[in-house]
Order: sequence, then structure tokens, then C-alpha cells
Amino acid sequence: MLDYAPRDDAQHADNGLLTLIETIEALSATRTISEVADVVRKAARRISGADGVAFVLRDNNQCWYFDEDAIGPLWKGKRFPLTACISGWAMLNRQTVVIPDIYLDDRIPHDAYRPTFVKSLVMTPVRMEDPVAAIGAYWAQEHTPSPETVQKLQVIARATASALESGRLHDSLVDARHHGTFLLQELDHRVKNTLAIVQSISRQTLRAASSPEAFAETFENRILALSKAHELLTRRAWGRAQLEEILDKALAPFSANLSDRFDIIGPALTFSAETSVSVHMTLHELAVNAAKHGALSTADGRIVIRWSVEETASPPMLTLTWREVGGPPIVGTPERKGFGSQMITRGLARDLGGKATLDFTPDGVIYTLRAPLSQRMSLAA
Amino acid sequence: MKSKVMIVEDEALVAMMVEDMLDDLGCEVAGSFGAVGDALAWLGGEDPQPDGAVLDVNIGGEMVFPVAEQLRERGVPFVFATGYGDLPRKGFESIEVLAKPINVGQLRVAVNKFRPD
Repeated sequence: MLDYAPRDDAQHADNGLLTLIETIEALSATRTISEVADVVRKAARRISGADGVAFVLRDNNQCWYFDEDAIGPLWKGKRFPLTACISGWAMLNRQTVVIPDIYLDDRIPHDAYRPTFVKSLVMTPVRMEDPVAAIGAYWAQEHTPSPETVQKLQVIARATASALESGRLHDSLVDARHHGTFLLQELDHRVKNTLAIVQSISRQTLRAASSPEAFAETFENRILALSKAHELLTRRAWGRAQLEEILDKALAPFSANLSDRFDIIGPALTFSAETSVSVHMTLHELAVNAAKHGALSTADGRIVIRWSVEETASPPMLTLTWREVGGPPIVGTPERKGFGSQMITRGLARDLGGKATLDFTPDGVIYTLRAPLSQRMSLAA
Repeated sequence: MKSKVMIVEDEALVAMMVEDMLDDLGCEVAGSFGAVGDALAWLGGEDPQPDGAVLDVNIGGEMVFPVAEQLRERGVPFVFATGYGDLPRKGFESIEVLAKPINVGQLRVAVNKFRPD
């Protein structure tokens, strides 16, 4: 319980508890540092009966005399090293300091005070455990404020600490809201881009479809593949995806146990988010073809997937092959110009600035991709 | 005579569709590029210049504007196609923007302005 009975400061000070409560309420309604400073400088002066009050912010290694309310100019707008002023001393030592005669105290930089009216002061840090500011009260005469006055300044300092804290909270909420708007815009872009991909798939699937049923089946499978590709992107926060992961996802629908059907060997390779989708869709189309006509259409056909990077080339070159073995014999080259074969021979290669070929050998299909490493495709670190 | 149209689009699947649409609209794809550098190299090369161009704006994180500037210098008409609602395009405010997904009717109107020499 605070003793607010008037004592030595009685003639100047409004010592009412009410004033203190009003101050705390006013501080809790502040939103910015300037508003906090405005409340503090007026209230601290009224409550202490001082001839001047300064509100000082800590800015890294400096004291920043942010605002003041006094009978004569103090140091508003100026900055001093923490070690060269008494507000810095109070913040560094985490204690309130009372100096009845500043010219008898060698912690005070006397030269800085000579142009001012100040003869005595109280300085109290804001947020005692880790000070972020300080409140100074100054008198023109030699003066020892009562313990109650000092205590009230400390109460204001505590209320100021929470006001600054909630101001910071408010700022971070505003930041978060801006960030949220940014995320929504980015989401809008990605959704539209994905819809454009769906539009592309539907259009080109329709073109090659022999019947509505055939369209529905192929289209749905492609949309499912696209959806799986996105799952991977989401899991990676739209970052890079590993080729091994993409293979796992894209080929899972074709073999319960991947190693039953696929031999996969190659160094760790990663793709940018957008290119990952192309990789996934290309693998999907290759696997669909294999399931219909190639190695996955027989009981013991296999697919050998190998890739390597020629690191001495400039830029380093990737060679990836998809070789089907044990499938039915292939006679001639089927005529293909649908979405699948477009995706296989052009899509990914175009993304990567490389070349892809699809060869129908008597033993089975061989897909070969050669492309330079780039931001879109790189060896994992 | 068919209009020869250039495409700059980083997403292969979307590029394939634009190519397909242009084909439907009776145009010839003069060149289709997934990177700004490739598009610039082609424009600076020996091939005859296109009659028009469809440009995505953000090409794998790179802005397509250098390509747009080259086209403007040569007097080649072009349109942007983008999924970004309102991307800043300083200096190109008057250029038509096709939204993605692409409305083929809008694309038709745009390419009808690309007249071969």
C-alpha cells in the first residue's frame, strides 16, 4: 500500500493516488512510444512536483532523450553513450538513483548539465529486470525527494514498462496482419497458377480422349498426381523437394512396394517447388504408359531409374534414364501426341533448359533426360 | 499467313496449354521459352522476329520486363499472362494483361492484333 500523504513535495506535487491510477489507465490506452512518452512526462512531473521530467529510451548503447516536460530545455532529441549519462547508469545498474546535488556526484557529466537549470534529480529505470527506458525527474534546487515520491515514480516506471510492452505487441500484430495479407496474395497467385495447370491438363486430356469415360479416368488420375505433387510442396513449405521423395510419391500408385518394380539409384538431387511439379507429372505419365503398354503391364517387368551428374562439365550436366525391362515386345514407335508424350518429351526438359528423348527399343522404352544443373535442379548439399 | 507468336512461360504445363491454344487460334509458335535469358538470346539471334508475344510476368523469380523492353523497341506487340492480381509493371501499364487461368476468348482478341508483316 502506498503512502500518499503529502510531505516535503506537498506544495508542488499532486500526490493523489487517483492521479497515479489515472496515469496507469492512460498508459494502458497508449499505442505508440510517442503516446507513452507524452503521458509519462506530464504525469511524472505532476506526481513528483519536479521542475522537469525527461523520458529516455535505451537505443542499443545509447540513451536517447526522447521527450521532456520542464521549466527550461533539457536534452530532448539528443543521444549520449549509456556510460556517459546518469540515465545510462540507472539502466545499466538496474536501480533508481537519487542525487540531491548533481555537482557533488561524479557519475554526472557536469558539462552537459551546466547549460540547464538542473541541480538535483531522481532517475528510475523502466522494466527493472532488463531496462528499456528511464524516467528522470529534475529540480532546480538542491533537493531530496521523499521516499513516497520516489516510489510513485517507480510505479509510473512499471506501468510504462507494460505500456511499452503492449505497444510492441500492437506493432507486432500490425506486422502480422501485413504478413497475413502478403500470404493471402501469394496464395491467390499459387491457386490461380495451379488452376491454370488444371486447365492445361483438362484441355489436353480432352483432345486425346476417345470417350467421356476415357477422359474422366485419365483426367482424374492426372489431377490426383497433381494433388500428390502439391502435398510434397506443402510438406516442404513450398521449398525444394528431393528427387527420391518425388519418385516415392509419384510411383506409389503403381507398386505397393517400390523395390518390387523399380531400381532407383542416383545422387541426392533437389528441385525447386515449381519444377518438382513437372518432375512429378512427368514420372506419372511415364508410369501410366508403362502400366498400359510397358514393363508395368507384365507380371515381372521392371524399371531401372538411374541418374548421375557430370560435375566437370560447365554447367554440370544431369543425365537421367528410365529404362523398362521385361515388358511386352515393342514393335515400332507408337504415334503419340497427347498430353502424356508432350509432358514426357518437352515439359520437364523445357523447365530445365535441357533435352528429353523417348526411344522405343525392342527391349522396352528408354526415356533419357539431359539437362544442366541450375537453381531449378541442384545436387543436395 | 499465320501469326508467329513467341511464348515466355516458366511453367511447362501452362506453356503447353498456351501453345495448344495458339495452335487452335491459327497461330504458329515461333519460340517457347522457360527463362528470361533464353528468350533474350533468341530475340538477339538470327531467327526472324515474331509477330507478337505472350509473356508470363514472373519467370522463376525473374521479371520478364527485359524481354518486354526488347519487344517494344522492335515494335512487336505483346500481352502479359499472369496469376498475380496486380503485379507492379512500371513502364508497361498500358499493356494488356490476361489473367490465369487463361480465357481463350481474351487470348483470341489479343492475338488478332498480332498481324504478320
